[in-house]
Amino acid sequence: MTYHNLLFTLAVLFALWAVMAKKLLTSAIMLALVSVTVSLIFFNLGAPWAGVFELSVCAGLITVLFIGAVSLIRSTEEKHPESRAPFYALPLAAAIFAIAGWFYLPAFFDELASWRRLADGSGTIGTALWDLRRPDLLGQVLMLAAGVFVIKSVFPRRTEK
Amino acid sequence: MDKGLLAYLLIPLLSAVIIPFAARNRPRLADILANVTLLAGLVNIAWMVLRPSVVADGFADIPGDMLFPLLLVGAIYLVALCVTFFSAWFMEEGQPNRAAYYSLILASVSAMTGVVTTTDFFTLYVFIEVLAVTSFALITTDDSRGGIEGALKYFFLTFPASALIIAGISILLIVLGDLQFETLRIFMASDVPPGPAVFAAALIMLGFLIKAGVVPFHAWTPDAYQGAYAPVSAHLAGIVTKISGVYAIVKLGTLLRFFDGRASALSEMVMFLGLLSIAVGALAALRQKDFKRMLAFSSISQVGYIVLAAGLGTPLAVIGAVFHLFNHATFKTVLFLNSASVEKSAGTTDMEKLGGLEHSMPWTSWTSVIALLSTAGVPPLSGFWSKLLIILALWEAGLRGYAGLALLFSIVTLAYFMVMQRKIFFGRKSQAAESAPEVSAPLLAPAVLMSAVIVALGLLFPYFYTYVKMVAERIIL
Repeated sequence: MTYHNLLFTLAVLFALWAVMAKKLLTSAIMLALVSVTVSLIFFNLGAPWAGVFELSVCAGLITVLFIGAVSLIRSTEEKHPESRAPFYALPLAAAIFAIAGWFYLPAFFDELASWRRLADGSGTIGTALWDLRRPDLLGQVLMLAAGVFVIKSVFPRRTEK
Repeated sequence: MDKGLLAYLLIPLLSAVIIPFAARNRPRLADILANVTLLAGLVNIAWMVLRPSVVADGFADIPGDMLFPLLLVGAIYLVALCVTFFSAWFMEEGQPNRAAYYSLILASVSAMTGVVTTTDFFTLYVFIEVLAVTSFALITTDDSRGGIEGALKYFFLTFPASALIIAGISILLIVLGDLQFETLRIFMASDVPPGPAVFAAALIMLGFLIKAGVVPFHAWTPDAYQGAYAPVSAHLAGIVTKISGVYAIVKLGTLLRFFDGRASALSEMVMFLGLLSIAVGALAALRQKDFKRMLAFSSISQVGYIVLAAGLGTPLAVIGAVFHLFNHATFKTVLFLNSASVEKSAGTTDMEKLGGLEHSMPWTSWTSVIALLSTAGVPPLSGFWSKLLIILALWEAGLRGYAGLALLFSIVTLAYFMVMQRKIFFGRKSQAAESAPEVSAPLLAPAVLMSAVIVALGLLFPYFYTYVKMVAERIIL
């Protein structure tokens, strides 16, 4: 249960960070970390397929797309600072939500837990990733490599200008 | 995923990772590594498939499920090798991201190999996305306005397509409980009402139609091809969009058993869009003033033939589709590489400003003639046979109207290419052509090699037919 709570807290923290980060790149990376924690939660709840797909699509693919898009934005556009005032209210809103969640969410989770029967018994992260979806991992590796090449190909020209 | 073909995926990936480190101080090493990797793969495939003993046995030594992937992997390596070899001499010295360019090309080769060897929908999706990311970055290699515009159009049209594909895949997972290609094939062969599975497949099909640039989803194609860095256009038009879109359509068509009419509405829709592409692509190509843009519309039109045949789905049509897919890779690569040569030599691809280049660029001119005659389906070149198979398949299936129109637009293809050839290469020398020397021999080599492949495939068609027929039988059974 501690592990569970830790994951929930981390997911919320990363999500807040993603919204509040000053740099778009940081936001993209934080969003990927949200996906990673969410997929760990899926695994923990006994839904390895959902976990694997979340990891593949959101953490792997979307991040590379975001980073690719961020790398295309010209540096001049970053010189105009945005108004950050609204963001200071965000932790407050999150705190109110957390307190409300403390009272109401456990019952919701109990309800969710009764739906577990369908996904149960599909094994651990290991089996799901290595035995069922091994070729995807190769795709993920390729995706990460491609992401690095995209950054290497697009960034030097932007900084040069 | 086919383990026997895994090396064709892993080795380019490994080279792609090594290149940035190895070429840090010696940029030329990037050219060499990329070319050697692809050449080695191609030689390996040629040894496996074209050994005299294997050919004499009628390709009986090759395991049945490797036939189709091997053919496509061969096409991928052949086109990519031509593109990297051409780029090595085309690219200006001291370009900052030379290593990253080759890494991206090799990563896209890996991804395409993954696409053609996988047997699972989700893995297919992952590799298609890698391909989309690498293509997007490759289009921006030329960071002129056109390059960025092309890349953004590609981005905005192909990523909604990915969303459709993933939605279709998730419905498929609910319906079938599994994402293996085989499961869908068995499901379609059974007596269970196929409704939900066909709906899911239709969403996936729609996504791939967008990615293939089929009319009416073709808006990104001309801009991406025209705006992209010249050798990248050849790579994209020659093989990338064919693998990321058209291959998947052919595959899905056979999995859905279009030939026995289980998904007849979808099959008819795909055929109609195929014919629409042929018509719109050809008519639009007639009106183009830019060499590369005309080739892009011609590409849309030729993709239409493959999609039309895939929608019909009979064995003969699938043979035609597979063969035309391969042929399209050869002749479109020649034409796009030649457009790059013209651009380098004369400084423009505007057909109004060009003319009479035949005198100063004879090799470029005559390889173009071979490629365009093959595209238009003039015997005895390879394009003639594949179009003949497609039109025969349509006729045999009782679709006389479709067959007639396909034939008619084949003639329109010849017409617009004749106009192109006359404006660019024949006729009186224009001002731009006066100072346009023939490009160097290394730049001509890929086009000459591909032209030789076109002629050889046309003349040695009976041998090749045995192979393609076995491929099609394997896909359908």
